[in-house]
Amino acid sequence: MIPLFVFSVYLFLYVPIIVLVLFSFNSKSFPSPWEGFTLHWYKELFESKDLWASFTTSLTVSTLSTLLSLFMGVCFIYYLSRKQKGENLVPLFYSNLIVPELVLAIGLVSYFSLFQVPLGFQTLLIAHTVLGLGFAIPILFVRFKELPPSLVEASLILGAGPTKTFFKITLPLLKPALLASGLLIFVISFDDFLFSYFCAGTSVETLSLYLISSIRFGISPVVNALSTILLFLTIPLALLFFSSKKGTEVF
Amino acid sequence: METIALPQDLIPFSRPKNLKRLLKKEAPFGVGSSALVWQFLFFYAPLVLMLISSFSRFHIDGHFEGFTLSHFKQILKLDYFLVIFESLKLGFTTACITLFLGFPLAYTIALKGGRFKNFLLFLVIIPFWTNFLLHIYAWFFVLEKGGFLNQLLLMTHLINEPIHFLNTSFAVQLMMVYYYLPFMTLPIYSSLEKFDPTLIEASMDLGATKFQTFRRVVLPVLMPAIRTGFFLVFIPAFGEFVIPELMGGDKFMYVGSVVSQFIMGEKTAPIGIAFTVLSGALLMASSFILYKGTFALNRWLTGGHR
Repeated sequence: MIPLFVFSVYLFLYVPIIVLVLFSFNSKSFPSPWEGFTLHWYKELFESKDLWASFTTSLTVSTLSTLLSLFMGVCFIYYLSRKQKGENLVPLFYSNLIVPELVLAIGLVSYFSLFQVPLGFQTLLIAHTVLGLGFAIPILFVRFKELPPSLVEASLILGAGPTKTFFKITLPLLKPALLASGLLIFVISFDDFLFSYFCAGTSVETLSLYLISSIRFGISPVVNALSTILLFLTIPLALLFFSSKKGTEVF
Repeated sequence: METIALPQDLIPFSRPKNLKRLLKKEAPFGVGSSALVWQFLFFYAPLVLMLISSFSRFHIDGHFEGFTLSHFKQILKLDYFLVIFESLKLGFTTACITLFLGFPLAYTIALKGGRFKNFLLFLVIIPFWTNFLLHIYAWFFVLEKGGFLNQLLLMTHLINEPIHFLNTSFAVQLMMVYYYLPFMTLPIYSSLEKFDPTLIEASMDLGATKFQTFRRVVLPVLMPAIRTGFFLVFIPAFGEFVIPELMGGDKFMYVGSVVSQFIMGEKTAPIGIAFTVLSGALLMASSFILYKGTFALNRWLTGGHR
């Protein structure tokens, strides 16, 4: 009974994806049934300039916001490693997950317009980095608390200063958490729609914005081809996430 | 050492030597504060400002004129409250359905998965890692009038005419569950992974039935994870507006679509902000009630035992 139930849940998860991938090779565009195999839509995909421009924008924003939030996260952990009292400040970052994204996006838009900051790439980056911090700091903090204190003590006793200890002992031990949270932030930022929709203005188009306009425009097998490629690009990323030891523990 | 240094610390600016020491002592804070500055500047400040500006009146050139309740008066209509209620309902049903699907899924992967455990979990995460707009798009293929599901149902003679699945509340709910399922499954899974299965054996050995074991042993341990999953689904599902808009056509109004209409309009932005504040407040209030409710439910389910 239960295995059957679980099997149907998997079916529910994968039927749309399989149908999507299959129809990216169909020589006639949807709603016509299967006609024959073609790679035409992939060719068209690689020739579409708008798509690649939006893809590059998304890639840049996600990479930069991931690096920024990880950098600030590591700096913050360095502070915690020096000052015990700093731990009282950690809950300040939990609220990023509690406040709905929509509310924060609207808040940021009105904030930017008050200070007359034009919406564009920089505002998008700021918004995504706020989102990233909400993941980076709690995840890094949990891993930091789990580290055996004896290692740090040993390093201090053997004569390394606190800063050297941080770079030689704490930071290398935090690597799996850095990798897991970095990948998670990247994916969430790459996937994000709400912040792109409100904070990007009219000059910048992310992949999500491009996709929603092409979906509204109507079904085109080019989008299928794109999904197939993105799907296969995610698999190595997800594998990396898993290899970073208990990546799922971040939840 | 500390006791000698203390009196000098009380007068830190009296001598340059102490200033230097103070700087050295507080340097880690200087390094670590970037995250705090960012958080205050781009998280707390916008939220506080939004709260203030929802009560404020501004002149056309942008300067502050005084406090007012007029923005809120314009949204104190039954229709708007119904929109908020619909969004809360959508979030709640999505959370409940994902729990119903995600719990057996996580349970099977974690305790029955064996060798394939990681692979099965991997399969759950893959859809979560590709752009969700593509999944909406994929469901179009399945639900369309000439789509996969209709063809399947026609072929098996379960129906004689294709059904309109798109632009119904069914399509909206289906897509919401599809997208939010991993958010529920993963916390429960990671909690089950730490769970010691010998506890189940111990409980059965001591004469408890399967149901009793589940109720008295498994459920109390999993309750925090279920709670996490519930709110990881409930809160973002409340503000979701792409899924309802694309799957439901313009037929269904949720908080997200109302807010975006207000904000995108030239003069209605203050009303949009007020509406965001109101719906955010109602979401927080209902989350709080639900949060308390889960504890009561927990006590009732487990019969008061921990």
